[in-house]
Amino acid sequence: MEIRLIDYQSTTAAGVDIDALRRAIDTQQSGLRLNDLPLCDIATWIGRVDGLEQMDLGPWQSRNNALAAMGLNQGSILAQLEQLKEKYTPSRIGLVMGSSTASIDRTEEGYRNIDEDGRLTPAYRQALVHNPHSPSLFVAHTTGITGPAMTINTACSSSAKVFASAARWLQLGLVDAVLVGGVDTLCLSVMYGFHSLQLVSENPCRPFDQARDGINLGEAAGFAILMRPSDAEEGAGVSLFGFGESSDAHHMSHPHPEGLGARLAMQQALDMADLPSDSIDYINLHGTASKANDLIEGKLVEAMFPKTTKVSSTKAWMGHTLGAAGITEALIAVDGLRRNIIPGSLNLSQLDDQLALNIDSNNSNVPLNYVMSNSFGFGGNNCSLLFGMSGDA
Amino acid sequence: MKPISFQILGIGCWGPGFQNWSQLQSILSETNLDTTSEESQSDISKGPKPEIIPANERRRAPLPVRLAVESSWQACQHANIAPESLASVFVSGIGDTQLTDYMCKALVGESKALSPTKFHNSVHNAAAGYWTISTGCMQAANSVAGFQEAVSLALMEALLQCQIEGKPILITFYDAPSSTVLKELLKNETAFSASIIIGPADTSPDAQNYQATISNGAYQWPNFKSTQPLEECYNNNPAAKLLPLLHAFAHRDANTMQSITMPLSSERHLSISAEPQAT
Repeated sequence: MEIRLIDYQSTTAAGVDIDALRRAIDTQQSGLRLNDLPLCDIATWIGRVDGLEQMDLGPWQSRNNALAAMGLNQGSILAQLEQLKEKYTPSRIGLVMGSSTASIDRTEEGYRNIDEDGRLTPAYRQALVHNPHSPSLFVAHTTGITGPAMTINTACSSSAKVFASAARWLQLGLVDAVLVGGVDTLCLSVMYGFHSLQLVSENPCRPFDQARDGINLGEAAGFAILMRPSDAEEGAGVSLFGFGESSDAHHMSHPHPEGLGARLAMQQALDMADLPSDSIDYINLHGTASKANDLIEGKLVEAMFPKTTKVSSTKAWMGHTLGAAGITEALIAVDGLRRNIIPGSLNLSQLDDQLALNIDSNNSNVPLNYVMSNSFGFGGNNCSLLFGMSGDA
Repeated sequence: MKPISFQILGIGCWGPGFQNWSQLQSILSETNLDTTSEESQSDISKGPKPEIIPANERRRAPLPVRLAVESSWQACQHANIAPESLASVFVSGIGDTQLTDYMCKALVGESKALSPTKFHNSVHNAAAGYWTISTGCMQAANSVAGFQEAVSLALMEALLQCQIEGKPILITFYDAPSSTVLKELLKNETAFSASIIIGPADTSPDAQNYQATISNGAYQWPNFKSTQPLEECYNNNPAAKLLPLLHAFAHRDANTMQSITMPLSSERHLSISAEPQAT
């Protein structure tokens, strides 16, 4: 199995586009800030993207759609799509979006502006926005893609799983190219929801650190264009070679204590790529900075991979971007692969004393052949992705 | 793309006037149009109580979750397949609007305190989560949204996965009544869930092979004529867009089964028909 990445872009608090993200990584400059989300008085740090409040999308208005629009407008994503629509027709282009919040930010706002009869006021009567499919409805509308458009909502694994679905669509010839994406935005539901679970840190998050005390929430949009190798002579030079999807079968909001579901996902990805674990040079871990996740994931990676496999969590750059975390971190791993750079585990000062991972807070420059990215979500929903240089397998 | 051949290995369902596949078959074949008994009305208002969910978890499970798990469990029993062996695709067109309503109202207030259980239940993949937890299933569980195309997109996704992996997969389609505030936009007033387990062609020598074809061209959802409650459900409940296909599957003579076509997007559609049987 090989599916090529033709182009990709990322928009987070750490950078409005992939070039800005590279600079932030290279200089180890975090995009986290003290929480200044309006109407939210939780003491924490957040990864907030600037400029979303000024965007006017008319009937499509929502913070989530604004972030999707901002993400789509970076780099050459839209120009590439225009060429592909011309070459294959718009109905032969597919769209798979991952999101956990969808546009619930707009629903929250609608409830704050409800009229005396308890009805949404006219500006908020947006059926195409107040539903979990809204990211795909909006992106299909914006890009003119008229092939199948599906949204995956599996919490924090959502936009990792978009790669798996897109790979199947391409393998069977449903479409000739797929725009995959992930978009999730900061809103009161997730801020107060994670607060209710006592998972939010008052400090900048410190994944895998002995003193870590919880997560920081963030928002992000990420997009990639995927094609079959036979149709994509030129591309970004990187390919998806394996993916694994599994369930914990344990608890809605606690990870499996031994990480059995996560193990299945990583093993499936290795098996699909037909690679032994020692061929993986770098894993971008889920690494939320919660006590439970990091210990379980860290122990599992120690058990499955040799010490030569370097790991890090990049969540201290932009926070945990939930439904957009899968693609955001997959693209960090992919971009590192192309540049032979492993981003450090930012904010790590002392590794959890129960762990013995090959992890460093500093970046390192080493030749990379294969990288993985882990994403685990509520409901015990896991996805691991495995990327390498095109044509290597 | 090439057509995909598949079989139906099991069906489960719950909705207005029916609590399982045989009851829905009776309604669809017009042998039983009496769906207004007081007993069934009271059951409908509370929703199903799937026994597969442990009792303490079942009490916290929202209606969309109970609908989805009930029909999924029925389909496994119908197919005589262990649920832990099945990958799954769960789909809801409008999501859990009652929980959206709860959160949005709580967040308008001063304290903004949310129940942690309600918050984790508010994820769109709550049904897939409860299902895999209740059955001990560690397979891939997908949870997708497609608004008005929820049914056709989930069918397509599961058919592709079944074709590539060469093993059976569970697909569960469910939507519950909209909250009062959102009802104006998302009109649904009915609770409906249906699950089908599909397998590769010739999985079972006795079962009918069907063929799924994905083609170019705009298509509207077909008209659906049945009892008044079922038509109302079909027209407003995105998950109930499966009813014409269930009607076709209920047809006893596959050689005369009507092909069912549904829109996937503005320019693509999915058709499902019976493969001719050798005589």
